[in-house]
Amino acid sequence: MAELVLAAVTPHNPLLWRAMTDPVPDDLQPIAANFARIREAVVSHEIDVLVVIGTDHLRQFFYDNSPAFAIGKADAYHGTWENEVRTFGMEYAELTGHRELADRIAGRSVQPDAIDFSVSLEWRLDHAFVIPLQYVRPELDIPVVPIHANASMPPVPSVRRFVALGEHLRRAIEEWDSDARVGILTSGHMANDVGGPRTFAGSPDPEFDALAAGWMRDGDLDGAIRVCSEVDRLTAAGSMTSQFLNAVAALAAMGGRAADVVDVPESRFSTSPFFLWSTR
Amino acid sequence: MSRYMVDKFIRAVELGDATVAEYVADPPAFVERWLAGGGTPAGPTDDRVLTEAERAAFAARDFGALYSLGAHPYLLWHFTEAVYEHEYTEGFGWRELVERYRAAVAPQGLVDYIP
Repeated sequence: MAELVLAAVTPHNPLLWRAMTDPVPDDLQPIAANFARIREAVVSHEIDVLVVIGTDHLRQFFYDNSPAFAIGKADAYHGTWENEVRTFGMEYAELTGHRELADRIAGRSVQPDAIDFSVSLEWRLDHAFVIPLQYVRPELDIPVVPIHANASMPPVPSVRRFVALGEHLRRAIEEWDSDARVGILTSGHMANDVGGPRTFAGSPDPEFDALAAGWMRDGDLDGAIRVCSEVDRLTAAGSMTSQFLNAVAALAAMGGRAADVVDVPESRFSTSPFFLWSTR
Repeated sequence: MSRYMVDKFIRAVELGDATVAEYVADPPAFVERWLAGGGTPAGPTDDRVLTEAERAAFAARDFGALYSLGAHPYLLWHFTEAVYEHEYTEGFGWRELVERYRAAVAPQGLVDYIP
Protein backbone atom coordinates (compact mmCIF):
# COMPACT_ATOMS: atom_id res chain seq x y z
CA MET A 1 0.00 0.00 0.00
CA ALA A 2 1.05 3.59 -0.56
CA GLU A 3 2.52 5.50 2.35
CA LEU A 4 2.07 9.06 3.55
CA VAL A 5 5.69 9.82 4.42
CA LEU A 6 5.81 13.59 4.85
CA ALA A 7 3.66 16.68 5.29
CA ALA A 8 4.90 20.23 5.10
CA VAL A 9 3.39 23.68 5.41
CA THR A 10 5.12 26.66 3.83
CA PRO A 11 4.23 30.23 2.99
CA HIS A 12 3.38 31.06 -0.62
CA ASN A 13 4.09 34.77 -0.39
CA PRO A 14 4.81 35.67 -4.03
CA LEU A 15 6.68 38.83 -3.04
CA LEU A 16 9.51 36.53 -1.99
CA TRP A 17 10.25 35.72 -5.62
CA ARG A 18 11.83 39.12 -6.25
CA ALA A 19 12.99 39.82 -2.69
CA MET A 20 14.68 36.53 -1.73
CA THR A 21 17.52 36.47 -4.26
CA ASP A 22 21.28 36.34 -3.71
CA PRO A 23 22.47 37.81 -1.51
CA VAL A 24 19.45 36.97 0.62
CA PRO A 25 18.54 39.94 2.85
CA ASP A 26 18.98 39.37 6.58
CA ASP A 27 15.27 39.29 7.47
CA LEU A 28 14.56 36.71 4.76
CA GLN A 29 17.39 34.33 5.63
CA PRO A 30 15.28 32.27 8.05
CA ILE A 31 12.69 31.88 5.28
CA ALA A 32 15.31 30.73 2.79
CA ALA A 33 16.76 28.32 5.38
CA ASN A 34 13.35 26.80 6.15
CA PHE A 35 12.55 26.31 2.48
CA ALA A 36 15.95 24.60 2.12
CA ARG A 37 15.19 22.31 5.06
CA ILE A 38 11.91 21.21 3.50
CA ARG A 39 13.53 20.86 0.08
CA GLU A 40 16.08 18.47 1.63
CA ALA A 41 13.31 16.54 3.40
CA VAL A 42 11.49 16.02 0.09
CA VAL A 43 14.72 14.54 -1.30
CA SER A 44 15.53 12.35 1.71
CA HIS A 45 11.98 10.97 1.88
CA GLU A 46 12.18 9.87 -1.78
CA ILE A 47 8.71 11.17 -2.59
CA ASP A 48 6.95 9.89 -5.71
CA VAL A 49 3.80 12.04 -5.64
CA LEU A 50 2.94 15.33 -3.95
CA VAL A 51 -0.58 16.28 -2.92
CA VAL A 52 -0.49 20.08 -2.97
CA ILE A 53 -3.17 21.89 -0.98
CA GLY A 54 -3.50 25.58 -1.70
CA THR A 55 -6.04 28.33 -2.12
CA ASP A 56 -6.62 29.85 -5.53
CA HIS A 57 -6.73 33.64 -5.26
CA LEU A 58 -9.90 34.35 -7.31
CA ARG A 59 -8.14 33.43 -10.53
CA GLN A 60 -9.15 29.98 -11.74
CA PHE A 61 -12.16 30.04 -9.43
CA PHE A 62 -14.42 33.04 -8.89
CA TYR A 63 -17.83 33.88 -7.51
CA ASP A 64 -19.57 32.64 -10.66
CA ASN A 65 -18.51 29.16 -9.57
CA SER A 66 -16.71 28.77 -6.25
CA PRO A 67 -16.06 25.18 -5.11
CA ALA A 68 -15.29 24.51 -1.46
CA PHE A 69 -12.70 21.85 -2.33
CA ALA A 70 -11.60 21.05 -5.88
CA ILE A 71 -9.35 18.10 -6.76
CA GLY A 72 -7.21 18.43 -9.89
CA LYS A 73 -7.64 15.39 -12.16
CA ALA A 74 -5.75 16.77 -15.15
CA ASP A 75 -2.75 15.04 -16.74
CA ALA A 76 -0.86 18.33 -16.68
CA TYR A 77 -1.19 21.87 -15.36
CA HIS A 78 -0.03 25.28 -16.46
CA GLY A 79 1.49 27.26 -13.64
CA THR A 80 1.21 30.99 -12.97
CA TRP A 81 -0.88 33.72 -14.51
CA GLU A 82 0.02 36.77 -16.58
CA ASN A 83 -0.83 39.09 -13.69
CA GLU A 84 1.48 37.14 -11.38
CA VAL A 85 4.35 37.37 -13.84
CA ARG A 86 3.70 41.10 -14.09
CA THR A 87 3.16 41.81 -10.41
CA PHE A 88 5.51 39.35 -8.75
CA GLY A 89 8.07 38.59 -11.45
CA MET A 90 7.13 34.90 -11.27
CA GLU A 91 8.08 32.38 -13.93
CA TYR A 92 5.69 30.20 -15.91
CA ALA A 93 5.85 26.50 -15.06
CA GLU A 94 4.43 23.27 -16.47
CA LEU A 95 3.51 20.56 -13.99
CA THR A 96 2.63 16.89 -14.39
CA GLY A 97 -0.54 15.60 -12.76
CA HIS A 98 -1.27 12.20 -11.21
CA ARG A 99 -4.64 10.88 -12.37
CA GLU A 100 -4.60 7.64 -10.41
CA LEU A 101 -4.10 9.23 -6.99
CA ALA A 102 -6.48 12.07 -7.88
CA ASP A 103 -9.18 9.48 -8.58
CA ARG A 104 -8.41 7.73 -5.30
CA ILE A 105 -8.87 11.00 -3.43
CA ALA A 106 -11.90 12.38 -5.27
CA GLY A 107 -13.71 9.10 -5.66
CA ARG A 108 -14.07 7.88 -9.22
CA SER A 109 -17.82 7.37 -9.52
CA VAL A 110 -19.08 8.05 -6.00
CA GLN A 111 -17.98 10.77 -3.58
CA PRO A 112 -16.16 9.70 -0.42
CA ASP A 113 -18.23 9.52 2.76
CA ALA A 114 -16.62 12.24 4.81
CA ILE A 115 -16.38 15.15 2.39
CA ASP A 116 -17.70 16.31 -0.99
CA PHE A 117 -15.26 17.35 -3.68
CA SER A 118 -15.46 19.18 -6.95
CA VAL A 119 -13.08 18.07 -9.66
CA SER A 120 -11.21 20.08 -12.27
CA LEU A 121 -9.75 18.76 -15.51
CA GLU A 122 -8.38 22.10 -16.71
CA TRP A 123 -6.73 24.47 -14.30
CA ARG A 124 -4.04 27.15 -14.35
CA LEU A 125 -2.42 26.97 -10.92
CA ASP A 126 -1.65 30.25 -9.19
CA HIS A 127 1.14 31.22 -6.79
CA ALA A 128 -0.39 29.29 -3.88
CA PHE A 129 0.70 26.13 -5.70
CA VAL A 130 3.62 27.24 -7.84
CA ILE A 131 5.65 29.20 -5.29
CA PRO A 132 5.89 26.38 -2.70
CA LEU A 133 6.74 23.86 -5.43
CA GLN A 134 9.40 26.10 -6.95
CA TYR A 135 11.06 26.47 -3.56
CA VAL A 136 10.81 22.90 -2.26
CA ARG A 137 11.25 21.10 -5.58
CA PRO A 138 12.85 23.47 -8.12
CA GLU A 139 13.16 20.61 -10.62
CA LEU A 140 9.31 20.41 -10.71
CA ASP A 141 9.67 16.75 -11.62
CA ILE A 142 7.37 15.14 -9.03
CA PRO A 143 3.77 14.57 -10.23
CA VAL A 144 1.20 16.53 -8.28
CA VAL A 145 -2.42 16.31 -7.23
CA PRO A 146 -3.47 19.91 -6.60
CA ILE A 147 -6.34 20.59 -4.21
CA HIS A 148 -7.94 24.00 -4.09
CA ALA A 149 -9.37 24.68 -0.64
CA ASN A 150 -11.50 27.78 -0.71
CA ALA A 151 -10.16 30.08 1.96
CA SER A 152 -10.44 33.26 -0.10
CA MET A 153 -14.12 33.62 -1.04
CA PRO A 154 -16.58 33.48 1.86
CA PRO A 155 -18.41 31.31 2.69
CA VAL A 156 -15.26 29.38 3.57
CA PRO A 157 -15.71 25.74 4.62
CA SER A 158 -15.63 25.22 8.37
CA VAL A 159 -12.40 24.14 10.06
CA ARG A 160 -13.99 20.73 10.62
CA ARG A 161 -14.17 20.29 6.86
CA PHE A 162 -10.44 21.02 6.60
CA VAL A 163 -9.86 18.39 9.28
CA ALA A 164 -12.02 15.97 7.29
CA LEU A 165 -9.94 16.77 4.21
CA GLY A 166 -6.70 15.90 6.00
CA GLU A 167 -8.10 12.71 7.50
CA HIS A 168 -9.54 11.67 4.15
CA LEU A 169 -6.21 12.24 2.40
CA ARG A 170 -4.41 9.95 4.84
CA ARG A 171 -7.03 7.25 4.39
CA ALA A 172 -7.13 7.54 0.59
CA ILE A 173 -3.33 7.34 0.37
CA GLU A 174 -3.01 4.41 2.77
CA GLU A 175 -5.75 2.45 0.99
CA TRP A 176 -4.15 3.01 -2.41
CA ASP A 177 -2.76 -0.24 -3.81
CA SER A 178 0.59 1.18 -4.80
CA ASP A 179 4.13 1.29 -3.48
CA ALA A 180 4.24 5.08 -3.94
CA ARG A 181 5.68 7.32 -1.28
CA VAL A 182 3.37 10.31 -0.98
CA GLY A 183 3.94 13.74 0.52
CA ILE A 184 1.48 16.50 1.36
CA LEU A 185 2.63 20.04 0.66
CA THR A 186 0.33 22.70 2.01
CA SER A 187 0.67 26.43 1.85
CA GLY A 188 -1.06 29.25 3.56
CA HIS A 189 -0.63 32.11 5.94
CA MET A 190 -0.38 32.97 9.55
CA ALA A 191 -2.35 36.17 10.27
CA ASN A 192 -2.17 38.12 7.02
CA ASP A 193 -3.95 41.13 5.58
CA VAL A 194 -3.86 41.95 1.88
CA GLY A 195 -6.06 44.81 0.77
CA GLY A 196 -7.50 45.51 4.22
CA PRO A 197 -6.69 48.20 6.77
CA ARG A 198 -3.37 46.57 7.80
CA THR A 199 -2.01 45.73 4.36
CA PHE A 200 1.73 45.07 4.46
CA ALA A 201 2.06 46.50 7.97
CA GLY A 202 3.58 43.39 9.58
CA SER A 203 1.50 40.68 11.23
CA PRO A 204 -2.03 41.98 11.84
CA ASP A 205 -2.49 39.61 14.79
CA PRO A 206 0.66 38.36 16.59
CA GLU A 207 -1.53 36.74 19.25
CA PHE A 208 -3.15 34.53 16.61
CA ASP A 209 0.28 33.69 15.21
CA ALA A 210 1.50 32.54 18.63
CA LEU A 211 -1.59 30.41 19.19
CA ALA A 212 -1.36 28.88 15.72
CA ALA A 213 2.31 27.94 16.10
CA GLY A 214 1.42 26.36 19.45
CA TRP A 215 -1.21 24.08 17.89
CA MET A 216 1.45 22.69 15.57
CA ARG A 217 4.17 22.48 18.22
CA ASP A 218 1.88 20.70 20.70
CA GLY A 219 -0.17 18.65 18.24
CA ASP A 220 -3.25 20.44 19.53
CA LEU A 221 -5.85 19.77 16.85
CA ASP A 222 -8.68 20.47 19.30
CA GLY A 223 -7.23 23.92 20.05
CA ALA A 224 -7.01 24.69 16.36
CA ILE A 225 -10.60 23.60 15.83
CA ARG A 226 -11.82 25.63 18.79
CA VAL A 227 -10.29 28.95 17.74
CA CYS A 228 -10.65 28.52 13.99
CA SER A 229 -14.36 27.83 14.47
CA GLU A 230 -14.68 31.49 15.45
CA VAL A 231 -15.09 32.91 11.96
CA ASP A 232 -15.17 36.50 13.21
CA ARG A 233 -11.84 35.91 14.92
CA LEU A 234 -10.25 34.75 11.68
CA THR A 235 -11.75 37.65 9.75
CA ALA A 236 -10.52 40.13 12.34
CA ALA A 237 -7.03 38.63 12.08
CA GLY A 238 -6.72 39.75 8.44
CA SER A 239 -8.35 39.32 5.04
CA MET A 240 -6.27 36.27 4.10
CA THR A 241 -5.86 34.63 7.53
CA SER A 242 -8.39 31.92 6.66
CA GLN A 243 -5.67 30.33 4.57
CA PHE A 244 -4.16 29.08 7.82
CA LEU A 245 -6.88 26.43 7.61
CA ASN A 246 -4.76 24.66 4.99
CA ALA A 247 -2.19 24.03 7.72
CA VAL A 248 -4.89 22.52 9.92
CA ALA A 249 -5.61 20.03 7.12
CA ALA A 250 -1.94 18.96 7.23
CA LEU A 251 -2.05 18.58 11.02
CA ALA A 252 -5.15 16.39 10.68
CA ALA A 253 -3.56 14.32 7.91
CA MET A 254 -0.67 13.52 10.25
CA GLY A 255 -3.07 12.26 12.90
CA GLY A 256 -2.87 15.45 14.94
CA ARG A 257 0.65 14.70 16.13
CA ALA A 258 3.09 17.47 16.96
CA ALA A 259 5.08 18.71 13.98
CA ASP A 260 8.78 17.83 13.95
CA VAL A 261 9.68 21.32 12.81
CA VAL A 262 7.80 24.46 13.81
CA ASP A 263 9.28 27.79 12.81
CA VAL A 264 7.36 31.01 12.22
CA PRO A 265 9.95 33.68 11.39
CA GLU A 266 8.95 37.31 11.11
CA SER A 267 10.05 39.31 8.12
CA ARG A 268 9.27 42.61 6.46
CA PHE A 269 6.10 40.99 5.07
CA SER A 270 4.45 39.16 7.96
CA THR A 271 4.91 35.96 9.94
CA SER A 272 5.73 32.95 7.74
CA PRO A 273 4.53 29.43 8.61
CA PHE A 274 6.97 26.52 8.35
CA PHE A 275 5.76 23.19 9.74
CA LEU A 276 7.18 19.80 8.85
CA TRP A 277 6.13 16.29 9.75
CA SER A 278 8.71 13.73 8.68
CA THR A 279 9.13 9.99 9.03
CA ARG A 280 12.88 9.67 8.48
CA MET B 1 -24.73 47.50 -4.28
CA SER B 2 -23.36 44.79 -6.55
CA ARG B 3 -20.10 43.64 -5.02
CA TYR B 4 -19.98 40.72 -7.40
CA MET B 5 -19.92 42.99 -10.43
CA VAL B 6 -17.25 45.21 -8.84
CA ASP B 7 -15.05 42.15 -8.36
CA LYS B 8 -15.87 40.92 -11.84
CA PHE B 9 -14.81 44.23 -13.39
CA ILE B 10 -11.57 44.23 -11.38
CA ARG B 11 -10.71 40.80 -12.76
CA ALA B 12 -11.60 41.92 -16.29
CA VAL B 13 -8.90 44.57 -15.95
CA GLU B 14 -6.26 43.04 -13.71
CA LEU B 15 -5.80 39.50 -15.05
CA GLY B 16 -4.17 40.53 -18.33
CA ASP B 17 -1.47 42.99 -19.33
CA ALA B 18 -3.37 44.19 -22.40
CA THR B 19 -6.52 44.99 -20.43
CA VAL B 20 -4.54 46.84 -17.77
CA ALA B 21 -2.97 48.98 -20.51
CA GLU B 22 -6.34 49.64 -22.15
CA TYR B 23 -7.96 50.61 -18.87
CA VAL B 24 -5.09 52.85 -17.78
CA ALA B 25 -5.10 54.64 -21.15
CA ASP B 26 -8.71 55.77 -20.67
CA PRO B 27 -10.58 54.42 -17.63
CA PRO B 28 -14.03 55.91 -18.41
CA ALA B 29 -13.94 54.61 -21.98
CA PHE B 30 -12.87 51.14 -20.79
CA VAL B 31 -15.76 51.07 -18.31
CA GLU B 32 -18.27 51.91 -21.05
CA ARG B 33 -16.81 49.34 -23.46
CA TRP B 34 -16.91 46.65 -20.79
CA LEU B 35 -20.53 47.42 -19.92
CA ALA B 36 -21.45 47.22 -23.61
CA GLY B 37 -20.07 43.67 -23.87
CA GLY B 38 -21.40 40.50 -22.32
CA GLY B 39 -22.57 36.99 -23.03
CA THR B 40 -25.11 35.38 -25.31
CA PRO B 41 -27.18 32.20 -24.95
CA ALA B 42 -24.46 30.45 -26.97
CA GLY B 43 -22.14 30.47 -23.96
CA PRO B 44 -21.96 30.77 -20.18
CA THR B 45 -23.69 33.83 -18.74
CA ASP B 46 -21.60 37.00 -18.75
CA ASP B 47 -23.81 39.80 -17.43
CA ARG B 48 -22.31 43.22 -16.77
CA VAL B 49 -23.98 45.87 -14.64
CA LEU B 50 -22.49 48.65 -12.54
CA THR B 51 -24.27 51.29 -10.45
CA GLU B 52 -23.53 54.96 -11.04
CA ALA B 53 -21.32 55.03 -7.94
CA GLU B 54 -19.36 51.96 -9.07
CA ARG B 55 -18.99 53.33 -12.58
CA ALA B 56 -17.70 56.65 -11.24
CA ALA B 57 -15.24 54.94 -8.88
CA PHE B 58 -13.75 52.87 -11.71
CA ALA B 59 -13.65 55.87 -14.04
CA ALA B 60 -11.60 57.70 -11.38
CA ARG B 61 -9.45 54.71 -10.27
CA ASP B 62 -10.72 55.58 -6.76
CA PHE B 63 -9.58 52.66 -4.61
CA GLY B 64 -10.92 54.25 -1.41
CA ALA B 65 -14.40 54.42 -2.91
CA LEU B 66 -14.14 50.90 -4.27
CA TYR B 67 -13.19 49.63 -0.81
CA SER B 68 -16.28 51.28 0.67
CA LEU B 69 -18.38 49.73 -2.11
CA GLY B 70 -17.29 46.28 -0.94
CA ALA B 71 -14.60 45.23 -3.39
CA HIS B 72 -12.79 42.06 -2.35
CA PRO B 73 -9.69 43.34 -0.50
CA TYR B 74 -7.23 40.99 -2.20
CA LEU B 75 -8.52 41.85 -5.65
CA LEU B 76 -8.67 45.56 -4.87
CA TRP B 77 -5.07 45.83 -3.71
CA HIS B 78 -3.73 44.06 -6.79
CA PHE B 79 -5.99 46.14 -9.05
CA THR B 80 -4.65 49.28 -7.39
CA GLU B 81 -1.08 48.14 -7.89
CA ALA B 82 -1.70 47.24 -11.53
CA VAL B 83 -3.35 50.52 -12.49
CA TYR B 84 -0.99 52.85 -10.62
CA GLU B 85 2.43 51.26 -10.99
CA HIS B 86 3.05 52.98 -14.33
CA GLU B 87 3.12 56.25 -12.35
CA TYR B 88 6.00 55.20 -10.12
CA THR B 89 8.75 57.82 -9.98
CA GLU B 90 11.89 58.14 -7.91
CA GLY B 91 9.92 59.52 -4.96
CA PHE B 92 6.73 57.51 -5.40
CA GLY B 93 7.03 53.75 -5.58
CA TRP B 94 5.44 50.57 -4.29
CA ARG B 95 5.90 51.46 -0.62
CA GLU B 96 4.35 54.91 -1.10
CA LEU B 97 1.41 53.40 -2.98
CA VAL B 98 0.87 50.93 -0.12
CA GLU B 99 0.82 53.85 2.32
CA ARG B 100 -1.60 55.85 0.18
CA TYR B 101 -3.85 52.78 -0.13
CA ARG B 102 -3.77 52.10 3.60
CA ALA B 103 -4.55 55.75 4.36
CA ALA B 104 -7.65 55.47 2.17
CA VAL B 105 -8.99 52.19 3.57
CA ALA B 106 -7.83 52.12 7.22
CA PRO B 107 -10.29 54.78 8.46
CA GLN B 108 -13.12 52.66 7.01
CA GLY B 109 -12.15 49.63 9.08
CA LEU B 110 -13.44 46.23 7.99
CA VAL B 111 -16.07 46.61 5.26
CA ASP B 112 -18.40 43.75 4.34
CA TYR B 113 -17.11 42.50 0.99
CA ILE B 114 -19.13 39.28 0.71
CA PRO B 115 -21.21 39.46 -2.49
